Amino acid sequence: MTPALETRGLSIAFGGLKAVDAVSFSATRNKITTVIGPNGAGKTTLFNLISGGLRPASGTVMLDGRNVTGFGPAALQGSGLARSFQITNLFFELTVRENLGLAAQTLDPVINAFFPVGRRGRAADKVDELIERFGFAAKAHELVAALSHGEQRRLEIAMCLASEPQILMLDEPTQGMSHGDTEETARLIRSLSTEVTVLLIEHDIGLVMSLSDHVVVMHQGRKLSEGAPAEVRSDPAVQAAYFGHG
Amino acid sequence: MLDRLDISLRANHVLFVILFTAAFVFGVMASMTGDRFYLRLATEALILSGLALSIDILLGFTGLLSLGQALFFGVGAYVSALVLREVPSFWLALGAASGASLVAGVVGGLIANRVRGVYFALITFGMAQIVAKIIYNTRSLGASDGLIGIPVVEIPLGFVTLSAGNPLEFFLVVLGGITLIYAGMSYVLSSPFGRVMIALKANEKRVPYLGYSTWAPRMVAYVLAAVIAGTVGGLYPMLRGFVSPELMFFSASGDALIMVIIGGSGTLVGAIWGAILLVAFKSVVGSWTEHHLIIVGLMFMAAVLFMKRGLIGLVKPMIERRLVRIEAAREMRKEGKAP
Amino acid sequence: MPDIMDYLQFILAPQMLNGLALGISVVLVALGLTIIFGLLDVINMSHGEFYAVGAFTALALSALGLNYWVLLALVPILLLPVGVLVERYLIRRVYDGGDRHVSTLLLTFGLALVIEDILKIIFGPNTHRPATPLPGATEILGVFIPTYRLALIGIGFVVIAAVALVVYRTRLGAMVRAASYDRNMAASLGVRVGWVYSGAYAFGIALAGLAGVLLAPIYSVFPTMGHDFILLAVTVVIVGGMGSIWGAVVAGISLTQVQAISALIISPVWGDAIIFGVMVVVLMFRPQGIFGRIGHA
Ligand SMILES: Nc1ncnc2c1ncn2[C@@H]1O[C@H](COP(=O)(O)OP(=O)(O)OP(=O)(O)O)[C@@H](O)[C@H]1O
Ligand SMILES: [Mg+2]
Repeated sequence: MTPALETRGLSIAFGGLKAVDAVSFSATRNKITTVIGPNGAGKTTLFNLISGGLRPASGTVMLDGRNVTGFGPAALQGSGLARSFQITNLFFELTVRENLGLAAQTLDPVINAFFPVGRRGRAADKVDELIERFGFAAKAHELVAALSHGEQRRLEIAMCLASEPQILMLDEPTQGMSHGDTEETARLIRSLSTEVTVLLIEHDIGLVMSLSDHVVVMHQGRKLSEGAPAEVRSDPAVQAAYFGHG
Repeated sequence: MLDRLDISLRANHVLFVILFTAAFVFGVMASMTGDRFYLRLATEALILSGLALSIDILLGFTGLLSLGQALFFGVGAYVSALVLREVPSFWLALGAASGASLVAGVVGGLIANRVRGVYFALITFGMAQIVAKIIYNTRSLGASDGLIGIPVVEIPLGFVTLSAGNPLEFFLVVLGGITLIYAGMSYVLSSPFGRVMIALKANEKRVPYLGYSTWAPRMVAYVLAAVIAGTVGGLYPMLRGFVSPELMFFSASGDALIMVIIGGSGTLVGAIWGAILLVAFKSVVGSWTEHHLIIVGLMFMAAVLFMKRGLIGLVKPMIERRLVRIEAAREMRKEGKAP
Repeated sequence: MPDIMDYLQFILAPQMLNGLALGISVVLVALGLTIIFGLLDVINMSHGEFYAVGAFTALALSALGLNYWVLLALVPILLLPVGVLVERYLIRRVYDGGDRHVSTLLLTFGLALVIEDILKIIFGPNTHRPATPLPGATEILGVFIPTYRLALIGIGFVVIAAVALVVYRTRLGAMVRAASYDRNMAASLGVRVGWVYSGAYAFGIALAGLAGVLLAPIYSVFPTMGHDFILLAVTVVIVGGMGSIWGAVVAGISLTQVQAISALIISPVWGDAIIFGVMVVVLMFRPQGIFGRIGHA
């Protein structure tokens, strides 16, 4: 079976720094693949290369066996890929509902672009569903700027789901969340993996071990190791990278 | 419940209806007292409000600062004047003005939309300067004197024919035109496409990850704004009987920007109120002192510093709160009826 | 053959020399503008008005009997506190409100309107022609050039070199460039970023004032005198690369030469259109300008 997402020899450098260096891996359909690595390992840069935010200097990105290298973010989104951001990246001066509506309105046929934003239709239903599922009912008409950090992080995830993607890329979704919120989010991600392929960046090792089907370890731009969570944990090279020098 | 953006649009409508009513009453009263001067001044204010509104589409909704919007106003005015000198037909002149500003808008948009932010502002400024200088130096376009001798036109509206020479009739025609422009733009902004425009202003970097091109909506907004500016520009020679290169100078673009900022950007209706206020202020204060600029400048700075939504921002939140209450009450009633 | 030599000697050379005087003048105005943009990310739309303020201050003080050469030093110093106040109490308030470029551009645009009217209120709308401090003309290659124009070219070069020296070669300049490159990093290294910003703005304003004093004897003094110059100066700043001092010098001198020569070959009336054309083309293909930015290059 072709993997949902595959990269081959993906590389980019900033000045002299090889931020991502010949990284090849694949993510199996409807499984959770987690990318881990110390700060500055190149995880976010890898996400940028895959999601079209950066153009790779070399290497390829395949979605469902189709070469999508060099596609921009909008085209990739159209191919069923959605991503969230490590640093909360929302429309702060719009409400929760308006944010979700913007993300969902690609579900409606193009002709709808010429009629006022409605309360019915697939997009509106999707927004209602997400508001329910993420517990935003009381805050649907609050400005995003007025939400707590945890709520903003949850909205980041909800935004990605609004367009019903096949591949969901989450960059440290639980970053800065309270313990309770983190567990809640973990449950959510697990429940998602029956419908979508998840590519995750996560620092919380406990979460990584319990959530992931497959783990990719990065270090200084390179792929250090990959495998099942338990395998990776016992890999001496990984331990050296993580504990050897902080 | 309605989205905030919809509430905001409805609050604009309330403010527009107030303006429309006031303008209508003013027009009728002025013409009953036999006034010509103030009716013509008010007509000019309304024409300029279209230019201001086109700036607000870019600045207040799409997040693009145009410092050369008068370029399109001038293109419309010159094309309309040239047509009127040959064929005194209202619709032909207006159509030609719109068409020419459409073409100019596409060309200008292709140039300006290569860059963002302050570079966009400066490139729009530069384009307007170039075209203004070219016209200023072109004999066949009247050079620095402009074009004069534009005939008074008849305005056939199907059921009735009005005249641009009659102050009240032309005032009402322009008022109708601004109403159409306002309504059309409100409609665009209430659509999913309008939402993407607004998203561009709120956080442009996030937009492509939602699956939208950023270039196309920016381009469409730019061309729309150009056509609006050009169309109202086409009305200008019908009012004044002449056009001159000053129409395209930076001071014209700057004045329109002042109208938007003082009136309140991001509201459409603020631009119209701002235009009327500025024109009225200049003629009233200008009659007893030359130094109105200092007051305009201070109001402008105050708007930038303290009132992000301009003068409209002082009353609009009240209207919005009321609309929210009305909407909530209606929803309650509906739920009560169908439990 | 003698025709060509005559043309070169009596028409082209003086034209180019006049162009050079204009070029130096524009660079002097552009210098402050480019420093303010490079360091603060602010397009100072009131720059032309501060240039006029400098000229009017010199006019008023010379009426009190102060010597021109004293004013050359005094007027910029008087403008420093004005610049600090404007940055602290006005511009700083809108740094973080949305798009900094746009909000500061709008604010300084409003400020320009206010300053222009204040000048009109105090000095009236009329044009003043201050006496030149160096009367007479000097003969160069058989052509007489006003002495003050030649002096201006010399003084201009000295001022430009001094400014470049301060920005690129002193500890102060290094601090300022660091603050512009990364304000948090600079703050953590002990640079007082707030003061650096005020200081840079005041410095830019003082340079505008200096340009006003220097150019008043040539281009005369009136409340809207900044308008003509600022358009050209903005173009120079963009073409040279916003924030680059050498860029402003090269762009200022070459653009005014283009203008001077095109005035001869084509017609003087097309000079502005050509200059703005260059600006638009540069913005289209290389918006960062020919040379980079202060902190970043
Ligand atoms: N646009 C850029 N320009 C220059 N350097 C960059 C850029 N983006 C990332 N880097 C550098 O590339 C390296 C990898 O950064 P990246 O953000 O991918 O790391 P990361 O693994 O996501 O780290 P973290 O866990 O802290 O999020 C870092 O050294 C970073 O400074
Ligand atoms: Mg990261």
